[in-house]
Order: sequence, then structure tokens, then C-alpha cells
Amino acid sequence: MALVNLNDVLSFTGNEEDSAFDDAKSSCMNFETSLNFKLPTFSIQNLSDVSDIATAPVDFLKQQMSNENNSRIAIKKGTTTLAFVFQGGVIIAVDSRATGGAYIADGGVKKVIEINPYLLGTMAGGAADCMYWERELGRRCRLYEFREKERITVSAASKLLCNIVYGYKGMGLSMGTMVTGWDKTGPGLYYVDSDGQRLKSDLFSVGSGSTYAYGVLDSLYDYNMSVEDAIELGTRAIYHAGHRDAYSGNTVNVYHMKKTGWEFIYNKDINELHYKYAAEAKPSTLS
Amino acid sequence: MSIMSYNGGAIVAMKGKNCVAIASDRRFGVQALTLTHDFQKVFEINDKIYIGLGGLATDVQTLSETFRYRVNMYNLKEEREIQPKTFAHLVSSTLYEKRFGPYYCEPVIAGLEKDGSPFICSTDLIGCTTFPNDFVVTGTAEQQLYGMCESLWEPNLEPEDLFEIISQALLNAVDRDAVSGWGAIVHVITEDKVITRTLRGRMD
Amino acid sequence: MEILFGFVGKDYALTASDNTAARSIVVQKRGEDKSRILSKHTLLSYNGEAGDTCQFSDYIAANIKLYEIKNGVALSTAACTKFTRRELANSLRSRNAYQVNLLISGSDPKTGVPSLFWLDHLASANKVNYTAHGYASYFILSTMDLYWHENLTLEEGLGLVKKCLKELKIRFIGNLPDFFIKVVDKNGIREIKL
Repeated sequence: MALVNLNDVLSFTGNEEDSAFDDAKSSCMNFETSLNFKLPTFSIQNLSDVSDIATAPVDFLKQQMSNENNSRIAIKKGTTTLAFVFQGGVIIAVDSRATGGAYIADGGVKKVIEINPYLLGTMAGGAADCMYWERELGRRCRLYEFREKERITVSAASKLLCNIVYGYKGMGLSMGTMVTGWDKTGPGLYYVDSDGQRLKSDLFSVGSGSTYAYGVLDSLYDYNMSVEDAIELGTRAIYHAGHRDAYSGNTVNVYHMKKTGWEFIYNKDINELHYKYAAEAKPSTLS
Repeated sequence: MSIMSYNGGAIVAMKGKNCVAIASDRRFGVQALTLTHDFQKVFEINDKIYIGLGGLATDVQTLSETFRYRVNMYNLKEEREIQPKTFAHLVSSTLYEKRFGPYYCEPVIAGLEKDGSPFICSTDLIGCTTFPNDFVVTGTAEQQLYGMCESLWEPNLEPEDLFEIISQALLNAVDRDAVSGWGAIVHVITEDKVITRTLRGRMD
Repeated sequence: MEILFGFVGKDYALTASDNTAARSIVVQKRGEDKSRILSKHTLLSYNGEAGDTCQFSDYIAANIKLYEIKNGVALSTAACTKFTRRELANSLRSRNAYQVNLLISGSDPKTGVPSLFWLDHLASANKVNYTAHGYASYFILSTMDLYWHENLTLEEGLGLVKKCLKELKIRFIGNLPDFFIKVVDKNGIREIKL
């Protein structure tokens, strides 16, 4: 919408006989090349079709706050989030507990932020900080798309976020986030935190329950595992963190990042997983 | 973090009609870390009196041993079972003994008196007693338990109804507390028997 | 930074403890055995404040030995734990309390049933199937949640120890090189090399 209005301004041609205009036209390349906006080389998605925050903020906020998703904006400290790269893409799994002190404020928080159809961010630390800056990241990624006419890489997107939060270093921002996506180079996974640290790796876990998640991930992770096994591993690691860490729990949300963008896999109750796993035979220690 | 919430836990006792119930969660943790889910916080004094000890786990264990010792001595000296009211005063004075270096423990007592009427009592950590006529709560989920009990409890509940109400009150209260839960145990004391049941709770 | 964990298996109790004695940033000794034998079938493993640890465990070991000599019968593992806990709880209310974390592992000499007790520096005692002390608990309790079951053979148990040590090697900064692994079963206490 805004772009349509912008085109009107850009299509202003001025007085053809005015030589000053010609001078301006020849010296101002931006004015000239901006005419390309009249013939966009990639399509702008229909707003109502997508729920990503970059193009449909209202839809996104509705989704975040709807009772249907059991989602609500809340203050939170304890968390377990994890993501790992494997042959089938990236698995992202998170818990859903929000606490204020020992009080469980919400058991149905969405800790995965859908930046756009090819980018996901996870939330740990201050919920408001993560939500605001990852939405801002979504906006900047969209602007990048307009400017460059191609999707931003995960590397660039995570660096964008990293640079923003680094500018606020020492001012009290609190976030530990994983930015994941699929770009022209393949699957990407970066860890970015409010210290300004940015790391690339195949496996991360963030939050108060992360050590418990690592305890499971490190012993069962295998790059060549199947998609089903990878989803199960993510679920299981979050379950173990929820079981041991008082500030993590309630439910697990799992996402799968593929070449075609992210897919939401499921939401499962950690308590039900406990009794399910308790009834199953334990894996052998001899492998 | 307060020393009273270092290990976490929640205990509740309720009056019924010629019966009384006491229930606790089963978590033992060190701050955020959950170590076991079979920790004993409610102790039998005799078949008519139970005591629940909420607070610092080491003092829960020390006090449970102290109370057992003192009640045994009472029984031997007096050659009769201790009455709930007397036991409450024993608890109170035991705690006050350590007035200037207290046990970090807030007990809840549930019992049946000689005439079969229900008795409940709670004290603070230096032995100030209260004797309400509906329910008493203690532990990190205290506020949640008050909310649950205020809305669920009613006078003259029969043993099975009392069991149902105390279980629902406890399980739902600890689901809103990060450092309580991981299962629960309920004792309903009646004239002729004590009904003890362990409950499955959320394990996260 | 010290590491101490253990579990019970089918017919044994196992504890693993690092063998490093360190002060501040200096390693003073490798090969320090941080455990005391309480009786033929009960072992006390410890870590914590330097000085407090060996003073307290020597005191406990001596008194339990004295009981055995006086009465001609050794205390059970559970009784050892009750005694130790009470001593630690009494010290807690003194001006300088012992700052020690303990694991007491044992096996019933008649039935061979293993048991393991966890005690922290506040003297909270718990009977457990598997557990850990200190930072290690944050890393390997989930590993043990995943793999532990009550019928672990000794071979499977050592497999679990390897998994735990591997996890600590990967994720824990305090990367300790060597460990004492002690097993208590019907035949008594013995050390096992991985």
C-alpha cells in the first residue's frame, strides 16, 4: 500500500523542457533507477495469505494474543530452547512456560517467533525484548528484500539483529536467541544474545534448562538422522529440561525448517510425555 | 532467593465432618533443580495426628526426628497418647526454643480430638500458633493454595469428598508454582482409619 | 568445579568422583581419592570446602568404625546416613559449619540390595537411584534420566558412566581429566578402571 503511494511520487517527471531537471536526472542515479519500482521483478505477497510479522503485523499480534493459541505476552526468565541442523534441515524445539519469580504466569507461551516464512527466532530472557527486536528484524529483512530483490541470508539477518542489540549493550536488554532459516546457502543456525555475541553452529540450546537439553542432545544427536528421529530428539530434549528445571515446562513446540520454509510440527504436553516415556524401555548405554 | 523457598514445597490441611485431611507435594529441589520426587514432608505422629513440615528440607528432617523423639518421651512418661492440642503446643515450644536462630520450617498439624472433632493448626517458624476452622496452608504455593481452598472448601465434608477437594486444591495450586509439585500425597484421618493415597501430578 | 555422581544398578552401587585437588587456580594434586570407607559394605564420597571435607569424613568414618568395634556389628548404609546427616545438621547451627557434599553408597551384606544416599552441605538427605552433586548435576541428570533403569548390569552401568563423562567433557568448562570409579556390591568395595 505504502509502495503504491510511493510510486506516484517516483513517477514525477517534472518539466521536460527544464534543463535543470535533465541535469538532476543525469546526476541522480537513485531517481533514475527508482523507476524500477514501477516494474517490480518479484511479487509482493497478499497480506491476508501470510501470518508473518513483516507483512501482516495485525495478523501476527492477533495470533500472539489469541486464546486459541494459549498465547499471551508475558514476562519470563526461565526457559529451554534448542535448535540443531541435520541432513533434513533445522529442528527448533522450545518449552512454553513463563514465570515471574516462582509463580507460573503462563504455561502456553509461544517462544518461537515467526519472522517470515523462511526465518524463525527463538525467545529466551526478556520476552518483550525478544518479541520487539525480532519483529523489528522482520521489518528490516523485508526492506532488504525490496532493496536487493532477493531474500536475506540467515547470516545477514542474524548479524542485523546482533548489530542492533550491540548498540544497546549495557542498557539492560536481555535476550538469548537463535535465528534459524533457509537461504541460498542452505540451512542456517545462529545464536545471538544481548551481549552482542553471535555464533554459528550446528547445535545450540539456550535458557535455564539448556544444560539438561544438552545432556540429551549431545548423546543422541546425529547429522544423518531422519526427520522423524530429529523431531523426536528435539521433543525429548525439551521434555528432560522441563522435568528437571523448575522454570521450564508445560508444553513443547516443535518447528522444522526446510527448503520451502518453516513448518510448525506440533505442540505436546510435557506431563503427558513424562508418563509416555516412563512406560517405554530405556535406550541401551552400550552404544 | 529466600531460605524458605530454597527447596520448594506446598502443604495443606482441611477440616471435614468428623474427619480431617492433610496433603503435600513430593518435590525435593535445590532452587530451580529438581532432585527427587519422593520427598517426605508429612509425618505420622500417631494414628490420629499428622504433621506437615514446609520450608527448608534439612530442618524438615531434623524437626521430624525431634518431634518423634519428644512424642515418644511424652508417651513413655504419661503412658497415654498425645492429644492434638497438646502436640500443637509441643511443636510451638520446640520452635520457640530456637527463637534467635530458628528452624526455617512452618508446620501444619492435622488431627482428630478425643471426641472425634477435627483439629487443624499451623504455626510460623518461631512457633506462633493459629487454629482456623476451615483450612491451613504453608509452603511456596501458599498464595495459590489460599485461592484454591477459598473457592473449593465447604463445611461438613465427608471423607471421600474431603479427599477430592484437598487433592484438587493442591494439584491445581502447585501447577501455578514452579518449585512445588512432581506428585502429591494425601492422608485423610477418620475415626477408624487413615486413608493414604499418592497422586499423579504434573512432572514439570 | 568438583564432580561427584553415582547410581545404583542391578546388584551394585557405583560412584564416580574426580581425583583433582585444586586450590584457587592451582591444581595441587592429581590422584586424590575423595572417599572414605565406613565399613566393608559402605562408602562415603565427598567434595566441598578444602579442609572441611577430610576433617568431617574422617570424623564420621572414625565414629562409625568405633560403633562397629563397640557393638561387634556394622551400621547399615541407611543408619550410616542417618548418623552422618544428624552430625552435619548439628554442625549447621554452629559458627563454622562443615561445607561438604556427600554421597553414601552401600550394599546390604546379606541380601546384596544396593542403596545410595545424597546429602548436601545443608544436611538434607535423600535416598536416590541416581544423582549428582554440584555443577555436574546440571549436565548429567538428564543423561541419567534418559538411560538409567533399575536392572543396569555393571557393564551397562560403566557405559552410563562413560556417557556422563563424555557429556561433561563436551559441555562443562571445568574439564577434569581423571576419575575414581568405585563399586560397592555384596563382595565389598572396589575400584574400577574404565
